[in-house]
Amino acid sequence: MIQRANVEQMKSSELLRLARVLKLPILDRKIARESLVDKIMVEIEARNKREFIEMKLNSPAIKIENLIKRFGKKVAVWGLNLKVNPGEIVGLVGPNGAGKTTTLRILTGIIKPTSGSVEVDGYDMLDNPIPAKSAIGYIPEKPTCYPSLTVREYVTFMARIYEVPNEIALVRMRQFVDMFQLDEYLDSYIGTLSKGNLQRALLVGIFVRDPPYVLALDEPIYGLDPRGAWNLKAYLRQLRDEGSAILISTHILEVASDLCDRFVIMNEGSVVGRGTLEELLASQKEARSLEEVFLSLTGGIPE
Amino acid sequence: MKPSTFRIIRNEIQMLYNQFKQAITIPSMLLFYGVTLIGVFFVSLVVSSLLSFAPIISQLGTLLETTIDRGMFFGAFAILSASSVITGYFGLGPAAIITSEDENLLLPAPVKPYQIFLGRYTRRIVRKMAFTILGILAIFPLLLSANILFFSIIFILFCMIIFFETNYFLGAMSSYIRLYVGQRYKSPLRYIVVILIGLVMLIPAIPSFTSTFTVAYVFPSNAFALVITEMTGVFALDVPFLLGAGLQLMMYIICLLLTASITGYDYYEVFSASKGSEEIEGRFSKVIRGNIDFSNSRFNDPTVWIMLKDFWSRLRSPFQIWKYIYAVVGMIFVLYLNLFHPVWFRPLVVPPDLAFAVVPAFVLMLILLVQMSSLTSMLSFVDEKDNVYLLKASPFKSKDIVLAKFLLSFMEVGIAAIPACGFLIYIMRVEGYLALITLAAPLVILFTATGVAVGAYVPVMTNDPKTLPVPLAFSYPIINLSLGTAMVLVVAVFADSLLVLIALPVYVLGLTLFFLASAVRALNSYK
Ligand SMILES: Nc1ncnc2c1ncn2[C@@H]1O[C@H](COP(=O)(O)OP(=O)(O)O)[C@@H](O)[C@H]1O
Ligand SMILES: [Mg+2]
Repeated sequence: MIQRANVEQMKSSELLRLARVLKLPILDRKIARESLVDKIMVEIEARNKREFIEMKLNSPAIKIENLIKRFGKKVAVWGLNLKVNPGEIVGLVGPNGAGKTTTLRILTGIIKPTSGSVEVDGYDMLDNPIPAKSAIGYIPEKPTCYPSLTVREYVTFMARIYEVPNEIALVRMRQFVDMFQLDEYLDSYIGTLSKGNLQRALLVGIFVRDPPYVLALDEPIYGLDPRGAWNLKAYLRQLRDEGSAILISTHILEVASDLCDRFVIMNEGSVVGRGTLEELLASQKEARSLEEVFLSLTGGIPE
Repeated sequence: MKPSTFRIIRNEIQMLYNQFKQAITIPSMLLFYGVTLIGVFFVSLVVSSLLSFAPIISQLGTLLETTIDRGMFFGAFAILSASSVITGYFGLGPAAIITSEDENLLLPAPVKPYQIFLGRYTRRIVRKMAFTILGILAIFPLLLSANILFFSIIFILFCMIIFFETNYFLGAMSSYIRLYVGQRYKSPLRYIVVILIGLVMLIPAIPSFTSTFTVAYVFPSNAFALVITEMTGVFALDVPFLLGAGLQLMMYIICLLLTASITGYDYYEVFSASKGSEEIEGRFSKVIRGNIDFSNSRFNDPTVWIMLKDFWSRLRSPFQIWKYIYAVVGMIFVLYLNLFHPVWFRPLVVPPDLAFAVVPAFVLMLILLVQMSSLTSMLSFVDEKDNVYLLKASPFKSKDIVLAKFLLSFMEVGIAAIPACGFLIYIMRVEGYLALITLAAPLVILFTATGVAVGAYVPVMTNDPKTLPVPLAFSYPIINLSLGTAMVLVVAVFADSLLVLIALPVYVLGLTLFFLASAVRALNSYK
């Protein structure tokens, strides 16, 4: 859905590009910005009436059953069950090496489970990977991206791969480039970006698609500065309210406790606790905060 | 073609174009490209003015026909196919084209594995074509002097690329066979399969299939051999050579499509498994991070310590072991050849009219062989991957680091060069070869130093220390070729006086010190 406010954000050159994509006849040599925006909005609303279908995720958006993953003899994930419904943010927390990254890599279809099943948006990841993957947005633990593309080229490429219509891609690119303050890097090569800006570019690459998404975010806050983190958290809450399903892996408990609706606590590949903050506090009598719940479930609270 | 395949291909070409744009705007990259092209052009100009190739080329045919027979000729190409099938069997197959960027972007995206493969492959072939064209321009003087039709050279090169690409696909398919067999049978006997498919590649070269034009010519190795025989007239069957090229092209397309169709999700797994093992090695070389490890070790000399670390961490990679095995087996074999002169392996008999070319050819071969053995020295810094920054940040002097890399590479290059030189002595009986072969030692020293220097420049030019930029990789042999030829010239000029005993060491040691100093400089100016 394209909002007027987002179209107004766009630079003049981008507006002209958008008008061309929408095949608007522009006859005057000069056109006032306002009237161009008006024309564009009229066309977009006409299109919305014709072909707009509300996108909704199937429920549950993520369904993991009896997931086991071995690397040789090493057991990385043991018997994981996990469901995330649309409109939920679930935190996957656990110490280093608990199996969080492995779980997310299986969820996104990068690696296969040793046994067990994974469904995304109602499609089985092994039998029906293409529709399952088209809902997924993934931020890897170690962000990497093609170094010889510019940010703009990368975002455009992602829009093409996920078959986002051009007009939506143009408007959303501007919206999120502004949200994550990437404007000055839009035409820099990704290979020259700092870690935090690379992460922002990856986020723009996801959000250029229309929501709802099934987000698999592996330590997404880690490389961002306070403003970027704040913007991301605010936008994640908005996405949740609009019906996306979000699974965040983190070991930063502040992030988890202020963002997530539910928690799944992993240790050495197995789930050692799950539920809302209240449920977890009730189950662990001696614990007074999420931090203490976490510590007592993963090896005891140090004296 | 599905739209997303097209989109991926378009993106690959965009990246290639951007890389090109970046390369021609970075002065040091441009410098290395320039050195390479002008160097090749210059070398080929010199060589073609010294030697007239036309008589050699015209006699090559008869030489070939008298020394080897038709079966051996076809066999040689079949062996190339067989070896790529065998190495392909143990390789990653199509998973080798997946990068860690793909892992995070395209693997979780709604695209099929074969689309990623086609995109990456298109880029590979476009890149290869561009370099071939540049290469042909650079050796233009040589082509002119050889008096061969320009068109025929281009055509043979084109067919050769197709042949090698087809072999690459055959290797990829053989990796698929391993995957398939490995999923169904666990017994170690399953490795018999690799011998079988290797044999399948050899069978079509049997003379009874190739002595007349038969169906066996659809095999890529036979088809390529046919192109050569029919174009040169050596062992010709009087079939139009375009027929061979057509068969080659057909098989190439079939193999391309087959490889695309076997590229499935299983290869994501193969890729991530290969990456896992890489990380273990990385962890091993991270030992360097802790000062405790270092101060606890018995070796207080940083040079020795880096050498030991490199030696052991390299030994962990499966490839390294084979290098040592090759060195030992190669040395024994070469000793055997030189001592017993077995009848089944005779040295080359050079016809009298070509005798004038044999000493230059020997020296050129010597330079080339040492050059090939010294490739590892270029990797001594590249193999550190990102740890090269750790190494630099560690409390060692840059010159100790460079010295350590140089000494270990020197040993490795030395043991790789010995069998090669022994083989050269045996196969090309040249008068005074003992004097000539001693030149191998200064060549090894010099080439190791240039290799270390070129390798040290990688992180100066890019911020990805694990991939060797193309211009560096290409300029390395050219620099060596020029330095080696210049060294031979120095020796030739002073050969009659005792001055050679001064001139040669001054030349070699001077340049060696110069390159090691540049390596130190490079280390101090990392991006
Ligand atoms: N490719 C791999 N090969 C071997 N072991 C692995 C691989 N990936 C992860 N592991 C192991 O699996 C365990 C879980 O790792 P991971 O999922 O990365 O944990 P987390 O993200 O929770 O820190 C670790 O012990 C890790 O060493
Ligand atoms: Mg992790």
